[in-house]
Formats: sequence, C-alpha cells, structure tokens
Amino acid sequence: MADKDLEEILRRMSQTKVNRRGFMAGGALAGMAAFLAACGAGKASEAPASVAAGTPAVPGSAAPSEGLASLEPAFSQEPTEGHLWMYNWSDYVDASNIEEYKKRYAVDDFTYDTYASNEELLTKLQAGAGGQWDVGAPTAEFTPALVQGGFIQKIDWSKVPNAKYIDKQFKGLWWDPNDEYQLPKDWGTTGIAVRTKYVKEDVSSWKKFFEVAPNYHGKIVIVDSPGDVFVAPLKALGYSVNSVDPTELGKARDLLLGLAPHVLALDSDQYQKKLQTGEAVLGLTWTGGLDELIQDPKTADTKYIIPSDGTLYWLDTWVIFANPPHPIAAHAFLNFIEEPAIQAQETVTNAYATPNDEAKKLIPQKILDDPTIFVPQAIFDSGLLESAKDVSTDKLRVEIWAEFKSKIGKA
Amino acid sequence: MTAPATPAAPATPLVAGRDLPRGRRPARDRFGVLVEVWLRGHTWLVYGFLYLPIVVVVVFSFNANTRVTNWTGFSLHWYEFVLNSKEIQRNLINSLIVGLATATVSTIIGTMAALGIQRAPKWFRLPFDALTYVSLIVPEIVIALSTLVFFAVTIGKGGLISNLTGGPEIGLGYHTIVGALSVFNISLVLLLVQARLANMDRTHIEASFDLYGTPWRTFWQITFPQLLPAIVAGFLLSFTFAFDDYIITSFVHGTNQTTIPLYVFGALRKGVNPSTNAVAALMLFITLAILLIGQYLLSRQARRSGTAGPAGVAGMIVEQQGV
Amino acid sequence: MTARVSRRSSLLTGVLLLPASLWYLLLLVAPIIIVIVFSFGESGPTGGYAGGFTSVNYADLAKNVDPFVTSLRLSIVGTILCVLVGLPLAYYIATRAGRRKSLFIVLLVIPFWTSFLIRTYAWLTILGPEGLAGFIGGLFGDDSWRILGTEWAVQLGLVYGYLPLMVFPLYVTLERMDRSLVEASKDLGAGRWATFRQITFPIALPGVITGSILVFIPMIGEYVIPNILGYGRVFTVGSALVLRFLEARDWPVGSAQAVVLVAIMLVSVTFYVWFINRGRRSRDVSML
Repeated sequence: MADKDLEEILRRMSQTKVNRRGFMAGGALAGMAAFLAACGAGKASEAPASVAAGTPAVPGSAAPSEGLASLEPAFSQEPTEGHLWMYNWSDYVDASNIEEYKKRYAVDDFTYDTYASNEELLTKLQAGAGGQWDVGAPTAEFTPALVQGGFIQKIDWSKVPNAKYIDKQFKGLWWDPNDEYQLPKDWGTTGIAVRTKYVKEDVSSWKKFFEVAPNYHGKIVIVDSPGDVFVAPLKALGYSVNSVDPTELGKARDLLLGLAPHVLALDSDQYQKKLQTGEAVLGLTWTGGLDELIQDPKTADTKYIIPSDGTLYWLDTWVIFANPPHPIAAHAFLNFIEEPAIQAQETVTNAYATPNDEAKKLIPQKILDDPTIFVPQAIFDSGLLESAKDVSTDKLRVEIWAEFKSKIGKA
Repeated sequence: MTAPATPAAPATPLVAGRDLPRGRRPARDRFGVLVEVWLRGHTWLVYGFLYLPIVVVVVFSFNANTRVTNWTGFSLHWYEFVLNSKEIQRNLINSLIVGLATATVSTIIGTMAALGIQRAPKWFRLPFDALTYVSLIVPEIVIALSTLVFFAVTIGKGGLISNLTGGPEIGLGYHTIVGALSVFNISLVLLLVQARLANMDRTHIEASFDLYGTPWRTFWQITFPQLLPAIVAGFLLSFTFAFDDYIITSFVHGTNQTTIPLYVFGALRKGVNPSTNAVAALMLFITLAILLIGQYLLSRQARRSGTAGPAGVAGMIVEQQGV
Repeated sequence: MTARVSRRSSLLTGVLLLPASLWYLLLLVAPIIIVIVFSFGESGPTGGYAGGFTSVNYADLAKNVDPFVTSLRLSIVGTILCVLVGLPLAYYIATRAGRRKSLFIVLLVIPFWTSFLIRTYAWLTILGPEGLAGFIGGLFGDDSWRILGTEWAVQLGLVYGYLPLMVFPLYVTLERMDRSLVEASKDLGAGRWATFRQITFPIALPGVITGSILVFIPMIGEYVIPNILGYGRVFTVGSALVLRFLEARDWPVGSAQAVVLVAIMLVSVTFYVWFINRGRRSRDVSML
C-alpha cells in the first residue's frame, strides 16, 4: 500500500507543475521527441535549413505515429558524452521521458538543477555561473538579454532535425527573428482562476477581477511574477502589457495597491493547492495544475478564464548555454524532446500547450479540446493575446512591484 | 564580557529577625511558592517550545501516511525512499563536502589567527578585531549578495581574472561556497579559541619555560591539548553551520552543487511533504550525532583532566560568552 | 628577549595571521567595498552595474522605508520577547539547577545546533491548517483562520530561532552573581520584587544588553524565516534585497539598501560597545 501511495505522490508531484516552466519544458521535450522520431523515419539527409520550416511531418515517415521503440534516428546521431546538465524550472520535464532519453543516448549522468525565475537564471549567469550547464528553458522574451550577455549559443539545427515540427506561428518572432538561438518548448497564458462554488460574480475580465476582489478579502492568490501580475491592471485599463509609460504605470499602480490588502499570498508553485483547499477562491495564475482541479469532482467548479480585456501569452524556449560541457548530448536532447510521442507525453504530464504540430496528433482529444491548455486559434487571431517583452528592469515597474509586495495583506 | 565589580560582602552577616532595626520584620514571602512554581513551569515550557519542532519533524518522518499529519502507523518507508533517491544521495554528498571543507579550512585558519592575534601589535589588532566582528554582524543575505557580486566581477564572465589572464572564467563552484562560508566560520573559531586562550592556565606554560622547554614543544605539549576542546568545538560548529547553510550556498553555488538545505527549501515550495520530513529528520540526526559525539568526547577529556565548568562544545560556547 | 628571537617571533605572528587576513580582505572587505561602490552607481539596461556616480539610489530609499520599518518592528518586538522569555529561564538554570546546570545548558544548545531551516520548516506543520491554526480556528468556528502568513508566525519563528543567543550571556552573568547579595537583601527586609528590581536585575543588565544585541542584529537581516513562515507576505529588508538583486537585477539600488542595513547594525553595535565600556577603566573587552 505504501508503494501505491508513493506512486500516487510521484504522479501528483510530476503533474503539479504549476510553474509554466515545467510545462514549457515538457512541451519542448515532447516536441523534440516527435522531431527525432520524424527524423529517424527516413530523411537522414535533410538540409539543416528545413529544420526551421515548421511544416508537418514529411510524408512517408510512419515513425511518428509508432511507439517510441521503433525510433531510430536516421540522421547519424553521434554518441553523446554520457552526461547532460540541465538548468531548468522545477519539474518541467516528464520523468519517464528523462529515463527514455538516458537509455537511448547512453547518458548516465542527467543533472537537473533548478532556478525559480528567469531573473534568477540571468543573475546567476551574469555572476559567472556559465559554462556549467548544457540546456535550459527560459522564457522567450529573455532571449535577447541572454544573447547579448553571451550566455546562450546558436543551435546547430543539423543536429536537431525534429525542430521542423514546430508550428510556423512560433517562428521568426521578435525575440529571435532568425530562429538561431531557441527552440520553442511550450506556451500558455496568464489568466483568472476561480472557484465558482464560492465566487458567484462574473469575473470574465481583469476589470471585473479588480472590482470583485474586495469581496474575497484574504482569499486571492497571485503568481509571484511581476511580468504576469502587471498584465492585470494594464489590460484592465486597456494598455499594453509591456507598457513602461509612467502615466499608464501610475494608474496601474493604483489598481495594484487597491488589490494588495486582499491578497492571501504571492505563490508561483502552490497556487493550485490553495485553490483546492479553498484557502483561496480567486487567482491570477497560469494554467498549471488547474486541470487536475477541474478533473477532480470535489473541485470541478474550478474555472480558468482568459479575460475578455486581453492577457499575455508566454512561450518557454529551449536554449543551449554558451560553452556547454556536453554539446552533443545537448543537441541530442533538443532533438529527442521534439519527437512527437515524447512531446505528446510532455504535454499530457505538464498540461501546457505544445508548439509541436506532429505531437498534437498524438495527444488525447480531451486535452486538445481543453481551451485552457490549447487556446483556440480564434482567440489568437483576435489579438486578445499579447506577447511579453522583457521589461523586468524598468525602474518604475520595479518600484511599483516592490511597493505592491510590501503592502500585501496589510489593511 | 566581565561582570561589574561586586561590592564587598558585609563584615558580619546579618541574621534575619534578630539584627534588624527595631520595628522591622523580615518581609513575609507570600509568593514564594508561587514564584518557584512559575519559574519551574516556565523553564519546562520553554524547553518544550524549543524541542517541539524537532520532535514533530522526527515523529512524522516515521509516518506511514502520505499526508503529513494523519498518523497511520510507524513506517521506515520514507527513509527508504529518501535514501534510495539518487538526487538526495548526491545532495547529501555535496553537503558533506561543503561542510567538511569549510570546517577544515576555518578551523586551521581560525586557530592560527587566534594564536597570532595575541602577539600582534595594537595597530593591527584593532582593525582585525573590527573585521572579525563585522563578519559576524553582517547579515547572511548581504554577505551572500555581495560575495556573488564580487565573484561576478572577478572570476565571472568578463571579470577581472579572465581579462587579466585571457583565460576562461573560473566561475562558481565548491571553491566559492567554501570561500564564502569560511568567512563567518573563521571568526567563529577565532573567538572560541581566543576565549580558551584567555582562560587557560598559564602556570603550566611558565613552568614549561622554566624547565627549558622550547616554545615549539611547549606549544604542542602544553598549550595545544588545552586548546583542543575549543578547536574541536570550532570544527564541529563550523561543520554544522556549513552543512546547514541555505542563503549563501544558494547564491554562490555552481552546477551540480545542490546541497540538502537547497533541496529542502525547493521542496518546501511544493508544500510540506512527508519525504521532506524524512530528509529533514536525517539532517537533524547527522548534525546532532556529530555534535553529541563531540560533546561526549570533550566532556570525558575535560573530566579526566579535571577542568571545571560545563565542558564540551556547549562549554566552549558558554566560556566564550564569559570572556 | 633577544632581537633574533623577536624577529622570528614577528615572522611567526605574520604567518599565523596571514591566511585569516587574506580571507577577510578578499571575501569580506572587497565584496563590501564593491557593494558600496555599486550603491553609488547606475544600473545597466538589462540590469547589473553600469558605472557612474550618483546618490540617487540613496535618495530613492526614502520611498522604500516599508521593509526597513517592518524589519525593525519585528526585531525590536522579538528582542523584547526574547528577554521576557529568556530571563526567567536563565535565572532558573543559574540559580536553581544546581549540579545539573551543565545538562540544562547542553539541552539548550542542542536545538541551536540543529538546522535552522529544518526547525523553521517544522513550524509550517505545527502552525498550519492541519495543526494549531486548524485547532484554534475550530474553536472559533472559523476554518480559514490562519497563523501562517501573518507577522505573528514570523515573530514566533524569530524568537524561537534566536532565544538561545539571549539565554547564554544572561546565564553567564547570572551565574556569576554573588548570591549573598540576594540573601542580604532579603535579610534587610526587601520583598522578592524589590530584591529583583534593585539587586538581581541591575546585575543581570549587562547580560541583557549583550543578549539583546546578539539577538537584535541577526533578526533585522533575517530572510528565511519571514519568507517561509510569512508566506512571502511579510516583506522585510531581506525580501527587499532579494527582490532587487535577483528579480529586478537592480544592483545599485539593492546595494544602497544593503549598505543602509549594515549601517544600522554597525550603529547599534557601536552604541552597545560604548554602553558596555562606560565607566570602565580597561578598554580590553570582548564584544560577544
């Protein structure tokens, strides 16, 4: 019985990846796996450039829809160095995929160091911690800063043929216009989580979120991420999520300070637990972990809402750090994770959307239909979702964030 | 710190009731018993308060249940899980490396400094003493941040060292963790050994010189054995602090150097979890075992050599307070 | 001593002191100097330090007093609580424990030795919804009543963590007290309270002061306890520093805050040293 409990816990732990990193990592891994599978299928001599094409699987490659067992990378995979050192968000890669990777590429030493935020990653790298990891999964908008600091290197796409499965809409974006430095991992949105059993009002927009908040004093949970939290007031006021305009930020500040006294906690890792127990009934969160709540009959009243006044969508991306100790293993990993079956597994475990088209074919329809995970194309096209820029160092934003944090829960 | 000078005791002791000025009676001790009871109760309460968390962690680490507080029976299951986990094994080894290295470095350097400082001229002593206290006063978070910045500027990418030598950056690693942790611990050992030196019995040393002993022999045969309790206490305490350290380690560690405290803090983020209890209990056992063994050995040695006062590691701490 | 011996002696002294001095210089003085330099600088476009010399960071601090106020409040209350809890305990051990004094001291030191982090973490279980909070909440019929995440939880954690540091110097001072003074006081007709006020407490005072400093200083800079027990809601100087350095990568402003924090502590300690040395002829006193 104890073992069953143990498995239960492990399963829960591996699924309770609230931070989107975990989700992103999962997605990327699965995508790579899919990619690898497709590669193995037959196009060994695919030109490196085609990797960036993002077109669906090459016709004739039956491998993607087969199980993992049949995957034999047809492009000549060099033997890896036997080690892979990953620096990532916690719980962001499916455990069984890690085992599969280790087995397939003869990697005994798979290290998984974690950071809690992009900023922490950047700070560590700036402080000289580079040259010690192979792969990581920062959020897309940090790519320019990472490139500028010389912390990540260009990916050798010839070694990552599975990258071709990445959907077009994630390519050539502003953070990496030539798609040289990053491989999309997974994506998601920031939105409103609500226990409708306790919250009867309509909270379909950020504006309403702020209006309703005082009614639930001390029961609101918010992710501890300034970039996401600023979305709420800025969108409620109709501004861009990346605004650094003092007037706009000033108004946003007022909204935030009005919210602060009612907030229970800033929590990026356990917000779904707080929602589950009812300690919190309203939240500014990511989708991570909410799926479980929705499935569980006791908390099936949970809803994740993409606010009608807009929000941001984020994309976590795989990168290879500069001077990686094990470049072959690093590239092999990126390729592996985009294999459709592997990537699909990541999506199932992490419940974040994958940018890998081929993997989507292997994902259970229920997940594909889930609008909290796979945001419908219509919403994308409507311009409701904005992509984030790295404005984390803007002085005014930092001041407001510090002030907000210091006023949490105070009357 | 020294107690203020006490006034001389009266020449002839007064006897209650008999020698009092006329009309004055000794105050009736109405509350005597009450106060005694309160003092005692308070003491037990405080000790209970101090040990409660420890007991809770240990007890629930043996809980068979997955939920932390529902007790469903005794089980070693979590310990099995924890000890078999490769990640935790690695973290444990890292913690041990960090602890031992820091303790060794700090003890040697701190002891040397304690011996040297008493011979140093005043112009050196003053700033050196000031630095010792600064290292103990500055909050860990400030040390962690400033040391990280220091490393970034010197051994990081584009730092001084790589610019000067044109070589690759040294980066963060065991050396940075041990380096940063040693600052505090050197001061700790320094103060402990210094206190011991001050309280030591000088007559033996003088006797040794009188008997034509060389300074070297005098040191090893007389001074050093008497310093040993403080040195050992310093070593054990440094080990404990380094083993348990969270803040400094989390800031200046490199890859593959996650220690147990880092693991626990990270696990905390995911919520209190029975396996974390087992890890926590394990940490408690290790540090406790080490310190108790040290305490026992030193006490025994002290008893044999007839030193008075609380002995062992605890004794060294108390002795330091009394200087 | 001959000149030859004293030269060798100086060499020996130098060798003994060299490693520690180097360590202090490189890993204590240098980082602090860098932080001070940064505090006068400007931050780069993606964070970090970008040179310059401006005092605007310090001026900006006036807008950011909240964390300092919170930390000071927690520390002052924490210190007072430590005295109130620690004094009777120290008194008991020093005067009533008799032969078992050593045992009491060892028992006091043991929790202090064991991991700070672990013990703080244990309070999460004890004070959580499945522990004390649930119990008390149940009494009031309010099942979302909370201790964790409030300043009281943090206050408890602080007192818990630093209590032994208060008790040690108190114990030492009280232990040395001449017991006959108390007896004389009683014999002269003074009641318990008067004896305490006029004899015991003044003698214990230096110990109280020492203990207060030993406790107050680390409390201001605490980061882990407010973070864990305060659910991140209790925003102290430690939290502010981490926000500046790690999240915002605004090293100049963070450095300025760090400098101010250390300055507060140095002022406190200087005051303490002055107080202790008042009316003393000898200047040679150990601070701790």
